[in-house]
Formats: sequence, structure tokens, C-alpha cells
Amino acid sequence: MEQRLANTWRMTVNEKKFIETALHSDLRIDGRRPFDYRELTVKFGREDGSSEVQLGLTHVMGFVSSQLVQPYRDRPNEGTLSVYTEFSPMADPSFEAGRPTESAVELGRVIDRGLRESRAVDTESLCVVSGKFVWSIRIDLHILDNGGNLVDAANIAALAALLTFRRPECSLGGEDGQEVIVHPPEVREPLPLIIHHLPVAVTFAFIGDENMVVIDPTHFEEGIMGGRLTATLNANGDLCAIQKAGGDGVMQSVIMQCLRIASVKAADITAKIRKAVDSYNTERALSKIRRQPASVAVQVTEPNQIEVKELISKHKEKLMLKSEEGGASHSDDMEIEAQSSEQDKSRRRDSTSKSFVGGPLSWDPYSKGVDFEELQASIASRGGTCREAREIKI
Amino acid sequence: MEIDRGDGRKPNQLRPVACSRGILNRAHGSASWSQGETKVLAAVYGPKAGTKKNENPEKACFEVIWKPKTGQIGKPEKECEMILKRTLQSICLLNVHPNTTTSIIIQVVNDDGGLLPCAINAACAALVDAGIPLKHLAAAICCSLAKNGRVLLDPNKSEEQNMKGFVYLAFPNSIQSVLPEGSLQVGGEPVEHGIITSVTHGGMSVDDYLLCLQRGRAACEKLSVFIRSSLK
Repeated sequence: MEQRLANTWRMTVNEKKFIETALHSDLRIDGRRPFDYRELTVKFGREDGSSEVQLGLTHVMGFVSSQLVQPYRDRPNEGTLSVYTEFSPMADPSFEAGRPTESAVELGRVIDRGLRESRAVDTESLCVVSGKFVWSIRIDLHILDNGGNLVDAANIAALAALLTFRRPECSLGGEDGQEVIVHPPEVREPLPLIIHHLPVAVTFAFIGDENMVVIDPTHFEEGIMGGRLTATLNANGDLCAIQKAGGDGVMQSVIMQCLRIASVKAADITAKIRKAVDSYNTERALSKIRRQPASVAVQVTEPNQIEVKELISKHKEKLMLKSEEGGASHSDDMEIEAQSSEQDKSRRRDSTSKSFVGGPLSWDPYSKGVDFEELQASIASRGGTCREAREIKI
Repeated sequence: MEIDRGDGRKPNQLRPVACSRGILNRAHGSASWSQGETKVLAAVYGPKAGTKKNENPEKACFEVIWKPKTGQIGKPEKECEMILKRTLQSICLLNVHPNTTTSIIIQVVNDDGGLLPCAINAACAALVDAGIPLKHLAAAICCSLAKNGRVLLDPNKSEEQNMKGFVYLAFPNSIQSVLPEGSLQVGGEPVEHGIITSVTHGGMSVDDYLLCLQRGRAACEKLSVFIRSSLK
């Protein structure tokens, strides 16, 4: 017990006074103004439905997975959505492994309420056989680094992961038509989830006595705040949820002001998420073309940049049409390939990831796909290690 | 007979390795290690005051927390925690900070085979980033035995599932330039040829195992050079 107390980090009175005094002149300790958000970066991992969000110093990862289960008795036609939050001990020295603390449970509940009760994710489309089989979507949020304002960052991670998640396509078969056959991704293109709108959480912290409000608090500001308000809204201006659990009393006019600011910020954040997801989808579409069987020989020709951009948008259209029809067929892919085989293959080689903003960056240096010939050629000796992918950061 | 590996590698070829340190802000030390698609994030907090119950207060204590990507923590995770804890205990100088606890948290980001060696390498890099005093580093590798008797290094998940058996090996990684000619020799071999950890899955004959050891050690030498240069 004493050991845990000895390890907790407390704010000193000096720090508290410093932050409050600075706020009197509308200055925050990291140089922001009271209603500025920190820099938001959304990256995606290898698999569908994995996202990594960085909001200033806060780092959160989200993973979405799906499973076929029996539905709840009172809702036989709907799939289920569950949010699991892991306050990993790596995020903060005071987080402990084991039972989730109150704040972990609260975070999970706020995100869950924002998604479920606003009907952001369409659960009726997740039904396969009414009363017997539905898809259960599980969102795992791992908090890696606590730089303050975990709710917002975790919410964005959940949304980004949901938008890029693809569930396997399944069809009914068997003798009585009741057996569900799940098709692997190679056979049938997996389907995205139907998401009606994006509920974005915006958190405000109330500091000091004179109605000082800041948005997106850092963990220093969270250490001295008197109360916190999280408003979940979407870009259409609908309020999905508000959470103000205790803390200092706040005047109604201040709350209304916060909500007005929150709607502006929510629109902003929604645009950023959509942009990141779009560029990820474009990359993914291109990599699908690359994954075709090696019947088309790889040719190294100079890419024509202008043509390339047209082709990119054409492919995107074609592939979106395809996924709407449901199920990819190889003939379609070959058709696209035939149109532009040379430019595609050579474009892949040069890292034209520069033309795609926000694509998967330094997660995996080989995120563009490993070019086998290049790899083999670069290994000098037997039993050697490939060192090209080395990243040294301090 | 040449084996066709799924991604076109030769039997002794490792997957591309990437290491970055100092990625988290709150943790005292952090590192991310990826081998091919397998990626592991490690964070170190410590040393903190006090040891756990039943631990020797004269020495530093280690606590490993393994977090899988999804799902509950079960027995396999506990086993990995224990193996990692024992491996790290053997490479750290335990007498420098007695009666303290150092926590190492491992987060699996993606599992494509060879997860435990990846975690050992990540944990070492994170310990270096935190400045925890170490005797020497550890380099870990996975060697597998295919059904036709060939030894393949660093298999990915689909290869692992088709193997007759595979073994995770961790070797020490000392500064060879510092050791003089007549350095510590045990039975004629220099000490850095010892094995720190060996975990086998599946069955293999003794000769096959010794062959795996040989290949593993050779690969770990190359890996050690990479580790050293990336940790500068």
C-alpha cells in the first residue's frame, strides 16, 4: 500500500498556481489557446480494423474484430457491439494491470453510449439468421500513453477502426438453408460496416474558480481541474451524449458555450477522420490490385504521373462499385489490370505514398508490400539480416 | 532440396527487422520491435520502490505484464510473462538497485509468428532506453524444423503452423571487442555462446535441436550487430 502511494504522481501547488495564472491570460502551458485542440494523427495498421491515434502526447490503439454469436433474446434481429478498454500500465505509472479502475470503466461507457445509443453503427445489417446467428463486433481500445484527454483520443481510435474494419461475407447454405458459410477474404471481398454518422467526443476541463474552461486538457491540466464535461456530437449537429460526472458546479451559460464550441470542433475532427480513412482506403484498393496472381509480368517503366492520378480515381470508382455489388470476381480485377498493367506495377515500386496523404506511415516500413526480388537481392550473405528497414529514433 | 517459403525467403533468411526507441512519453523507456509483420511494443517503468511479496529484497525485482491484441489474459500470456521475466532477470544487474521493482509492459500489436523472440528483443531495447543497468543484451530468434528435416529461421505464422516443431532461442549479446583473448571460457567455448532461453514447441530429435541451436546462434550474431548499431 505504501509502495503504491509512493509511486503516485501528484501535482505540486506551484504547478497548479502556474497553470491557473497562465490561464488568466488565456495561455496554456503547451502554448495553445483555451479552445485549441492538439495535433491529431490517425494511422492504420496492417489489418483491417486496426487504428492508431495520436492526440498530442496521448497515444491510443483500436482493434475491431467480429464473431458470429447468438443474438440477445429481446433483440433477435440485431447484431451486438461491445467496447473493451484497456488502460495499459504502460500508459501511466498509476495504471495497474488487472481490474479496470473507475476511469477506465467510465471511458468505456462513454464511448459505448456514443456509438450504441446514437445508432451510429447499423446493427440490423449484422443479422445473418434471425434469432440464431448475428455478428458481434468487438472494439478493443488500448491506451498506450496517457498525455491527457483519453476519452477523445480513444473515441477517434474506435471510429477510425470501425470505418476501416471489414467483416467476412457469409451466405446461407446447407440442406435446410440454416447453415452459415463464412467466406474467407480471398474468396469473397469482406464487407465494411454500415456507419450512419460519426459521434465525436469533445472534452472540456473546468479549472479554477472563475469559470475558466479549456478544451482537450493535457494530463497536467487534468491533474488540477475541478470538473470535466464530455460532449459527444456528430457533424450534423446532433448531440449524442453528454457526460459530466460530478466535479465543480458550472453555470448554464458556460455549458451552452461549450456545446457550441464542441459542435464546431466535432465537424473539424470528423473531416480529419474521413480524410485519413479515405486515403487508407485508396491505398488498400491499390494494394488489392497488386495482390493479383503473378500472371502479369512485372515491368519496370517510367510512370506517367498525370495518367497515374486519373487511374487512381478510376480504380477507386471501379472497386467501390464492385464492393457494392458484393463479392469480387477475378474477371473484374483482370479487366482493371489489363487497362494499366505497366503503370500500376511500376508505380508501386516508387514510393508514391507521397501523393497519398496520411497513408500508413512508419508502422511497418514494408507497408507498401515487400518486393521479393529486391529483398533477396539486398541480402548479401547467407543467414544475413535485412537492415534496410532500420529506424533509429531517440 | 530447396524449400519454397511462402514469401520467397531462403531458409536462413530473416524477415526485415525494425526497431525504434523512445516512442512513448510517460514511460521511462519504450521501444517497438518488428520482424516482418510481427510487431511488439514494450514499455519500462522503474525502478519503483519496494519488491513484491516472496521476492528477495536484496535484489531488484522484475514484473512483466503481457497484453495481447484482443481477448482476455489467459494461461499462454502468463507463460510468456514468466519466460520473459526469467530471461530479463538473467541479463540485468540485480544488485545495483536492491529492493526495487521494474515493470515491463509488452503490448502485442500484430502477431505473425515469432512473437516471443520479438518481445524479448523489444524488452531489451526498452530496458536500454530506460537506462536500466544490464550485464549484456539478449538477441532472440525462432528456429523451426520443417517436416522434411530442413531448418528454417524466423518462420511467420503460417509457416509455424506447418512445422514439425520450432524453438525460441535467446542468446547473450556481449561486447566482443572488450573481451580479451583469454576471456571467460567454459569448457572451451567463450561465454557468449551460452543460451539464455530455449522454449520448444512440437517434437524434434536431439540432433535437429543441436542443428537449430547452431543456426540460431549464427543468426543471433548478425542480429546482435544490428541491435548494437540501432541502440547507439
